[in-house]
Parts: sequence; structure tokens; C-alpha cells
Amino acid sequence: MTASPAFAGDASAGSDVFKSECAECHSIKEGRNKKGPSLFGVVGRKAAAVPDYEYSDALRAQSAWVWTPEQLHSYLGQPAKRANPGTKMKYDGLNDPKQLDDLISYLGTLH
Amino acid sequence: MLSLPYRRMARRTRNMTVLYGVGAAFSLACTTAQAIPVYARQTGSACADCHAGSYGPALTPYGMRFKLNGYTDTDGKGFKLPVAAQLIGTRNVPARGESSNRLTEADVYLAGRLTDQVGGYVKVSSNNDGHNRFDTKLSDVDLRFVAKELKLGGKDLTLGVSVNNNPGFQDPIAALPGASSLGPPGVTGTVLNPSSPNAPANRVIGATVYGLYDSRWYGEAGTYNSLQRSTQDRLGYNPNGDPGKLHDTGYVRFAYMRDLRRQFFSAGVVALSTKRELPRTGGPKDKLTDLGYDLTYQYLGNREHIVQLSYVNILEQRKYGSLPTPLAKPRGTVHDQVATAAYTFKQSYTLLVSHMVSTGSRDDGRFFPYGVPNTTANLISLYWAPFGKDDSYTAMANLKLAANWFRFTRFNGASDNIFGAPGTNARDFNAFSITASVAF
Repeated sequence: MTASPAFAGDASAGSDVFKSECAECHSIKEGRNKKGPSLFGVVGRKAAAVPDYEYSDALRAQSAWVWTPEQLHSYLGQPAKRANPGTKMKYDGLNDPKQLDDLISYLGTLH
Repeated sequence: MLSLPYRRMARRTRNMTVLYGVGAAFSLACTTAQAIPVYARQTGSACADCHAGSYGPALTPYGMRFKLNGYTDTDGKGFKLPVAAQLIGTRNVPARGESSNRLTEADVYLAGRLTDQVGGYVKVSSNNDGHNRFDTKLSDVDLRFVAKELKLGGKDLTLGVSVNNNPGFQDPIAALPGASSLGPPGVTGTVLNPSSPNAPANRVIGATVYGLYDSRWYGEAGTYNSLQRSTQDRLGYNPNGDPGKLHDTGYVRFAYMRDLRRQFFSAGVVALSTKRELPRTGGPKDKLTDLGYDLTYQYLGNREHIVQLSYVNILEQRKYGSLPTPLAKPRGTVHDQVATAAYTFKQSYTLLVSHMVSTGSRDDGRFFPYGVPNTTANLISLYWAPFGKDDSYTAMANLKLAANWFRFTRFNGASDNIFGAPGTNARDFNAFSITASVAF
């Protein structure tokens, strides 16, 4: 059995990627929302599932989405407006594959 | 012409005004445009998301976007009371004169989002006059209407209008003296430098239209009118600092900026042109044209170590409307330059060094006694701001302790005997201060 490619990253390096790419809009504290929802426990969570965050209609419409490593890889690897037209999220995407793997590995530690 | 005793009295009064002005200018540099918790409450963000040090004032690229978006970004959790306050206590140790310990400033901020498209920043400042009486004045104002998330040619476009009272304060990159409050405090200076005598800062009202295209190209244009002397007085400003009646004033700004997440850089140009009637006697006007450029760089990395560098260079061309003495020249130039480097560790500890130079073309009829107004000064500051970060105990309040050293090596064209007669040297303006600031 091989590990999922999305978890092949270095979570420690991913922490730095998070601080430079995500931390302005997302907190890792449970229940603390900024412009974006808390990313505590994001891996494995259903999309638009943080109860006290006001999501865009565009993300609420993706009721089948679950933030698996593969889904995060696809979502974060391109501009958010392309991945989910109509989203509130303003992000141009992370096009460095290693940083993306590191970041997703780090997000997987937030439990 | 004034008789000799009156000329001496007038000169002594002018010198005292200069001394007061220098102190006020550096006080401004220490305390203006700080991070205010109302924005943190509104957005759910930490102060350190928008400012390199968690108490400000230097903006990160994220802070620039917040400003460009008209201070309207929100966490979506309803209306937040747009009010904050700040208290500043200072231990001041001037090179000449008595040391003091005072509550130096009490401020109220009305700031934040009114609607999705309207927001602002208004600071009402109360300053200790040295006798524990507080003079209240309307400080910086920046009210905005913004249209966000527009598209032009498939690229993002933000358009806005800023109504403000300090040319340059509204700038998103915030390196211009109006925004950074770092400008050489000399006997003269450019219009864009709030530390210049009779600067328009806070004594004018203007409107500019701005746009940001593709998150990179920034353009802005607008105009300003000076407030009546009586209005300046009512707003808390001594009419002696009147910038005069301004006519045909235009402000233009272009900049290119790149936010690379771990780094940021920008290059910009700025121009301000006006005809100034000072004093307001209906007499001749001075034609003043400021032309400047600014360069900035930020290394942000993972926010553990942040380095911010900026350089601002503003040349003012003057065509004087009158000749106060036979030796005065009809034209001249003044040149203000500011280079600033700041290092911030863990978003809490900041060391800032700023080198400020003001020079001017020779004019024996205007700049007594040496014919040149040249000033060189430094500000060295060390801050500690323990709160205002993502992992801080509270986002409701913030604290900053700062040690500041103001240093002059040249003033009014000389290092020693700066007013001609022996007695006053540039280093007499040096001062060391320790400030404690609390915002809530």
C-alpha cells in the first residue's frame, strides 16, 4: 500500500507555507473565523460545514464536496474563482507542487 | 522695515516656533496611524496580519488591500461598533530643556465599515500641551467609497473614492511622508511632507479617485482645498500653521506593486501641484510643484523575520510670487528624502532606523543666516508589541512600549550656531523618549 501523494509532504515546511499563504484569512484555532473560516479539522470535513461562518452560495452549493487531500489539492492548485466560481475566497492558487503537498500535510495535522 | 529690536524679537519668535515645530513633527512620527483594534474586531484578523509589528504602523500587503478595499472587509458576523481609543504616556528626555513624564495623548478613532462599499478612518487626537491641559484636534481622516470585484479585460479591478485631509495619507503603500509620518522636519520642506512648516496635512480637505488593476497597477488623481483659518482653529489647529489659500491643486499618483506572498516590492511616482497664497492677503501666489518617486521592498517569509525597506525622494520646484528681501530669488527648489529600514521579529519586536534629509537651493534672501535650509535627521526606534497576533490572549486591546531616539546632525544649513549667533546647535534638538501606548 502506498501513501496518498497528498500526504507525502513535509508538515513542518507546510506550517511555513500556511503562514505565508493562508494565515491572513484563516486561523487554525477551533471556532475562530477570520475573513475565511477556521481551518481546524479541515481535512475530512464537508465543504461549507463550519457552523457559524457565512459561506458564499457558491460553496454551499457544493454539498457533495469533502475536503479530502485530493479535493484540497485540486482546489488550492488553481485560482479559487476558477475552482468554485462565485466563491468569496480570493486566492490565486499555489502552483508549487512541493509547497502544495507540504501545506496539505500540515492541514492534516490540525485536529 | 522693522527696527532692529523688533527684527530680533521676530527672529527669536521664529526660532521658538521652529523649536516647537521640530518637537511636534517628531511627536507625530511616534504616534500617528497605529493599528487600531476596531479593525481586528471587524475582520477577525490579528493586528499583525495588516501590520509588520502588531501595533503598526507599517503595512503588510494584506493591510494595503484592506485599506484599498475601503476598510470594509469583514468576518461577516454582523455590525461591529466602529470605535477605538488609544492612550500614550511618554518619558521625554530632550538634549536641552527639562525632562518630563506625561500622559501625552488620548485618541478616539471612528473607523471601520459602514456598508460593504463605505468605510473609513477618523482620528480625533487630544494632546497634552505640557501643562496637563489637552488640546483636541481632528487628526487624519480617510473616508472611502469603493467598488470591489470589478473585472476589466478579465483582470481584477478595484475603484474607489477617498475623501481625506492629508495628501499621501490615503496611499496604500504608505511610504509617502503623509502616510508614514516620516519626513525631515526642517525650516522649510515639500508640500507632501507633513513635517514641513505650513504643511497642508490635516488643514485641507480633498477627494481623490483611485483604482487598482490586476492587483498590481495603482493610479490615483484628485484635488485639495485648504480649510479656512477659522475652521482650522475650530478643528484644533493653530492658525499660525495655516498652509495658505491653495488654488488649482492637483494630486496624481501611479505605482506598480507585486505581492509575492513571501516578498513584496513597489515602485511609484507622485506629483502635487498648487498655487499657494500665504499669507491670505489676496497678494501674489507661490507656484509649488512636488515631483517624487518611492521604492519599497518587504521580505515577509513566514512572518518570523520581516524586513521592510523604503526610499522616498520628493523634489519641489518653487516659483515665488513675491520677493521678501532684495536678496531673495524668484525661483528655488527643495528636496526631501527619506530612507527607512525596519526589522521585525516574531511580529512583536521592531527596530526601525530612518534617515531624513531636506536640502534646498541657495537663497540668501529667504534662509537666514546661511542661505540654505538643509536639515539632516535620524529616527531610531525600538518597539515591543506583545499582543495583536493570531495566538495572542486578546484581539480587543493592544500595547506598545517604544524607545525612540531623535538625532539631528544639521539644521537650517548648519551643524553649529544654526541661527547664526552662538548658542543653538543642531544636536540641541536631539531627544530620547520612552512611550507606552495602549489601544482598545
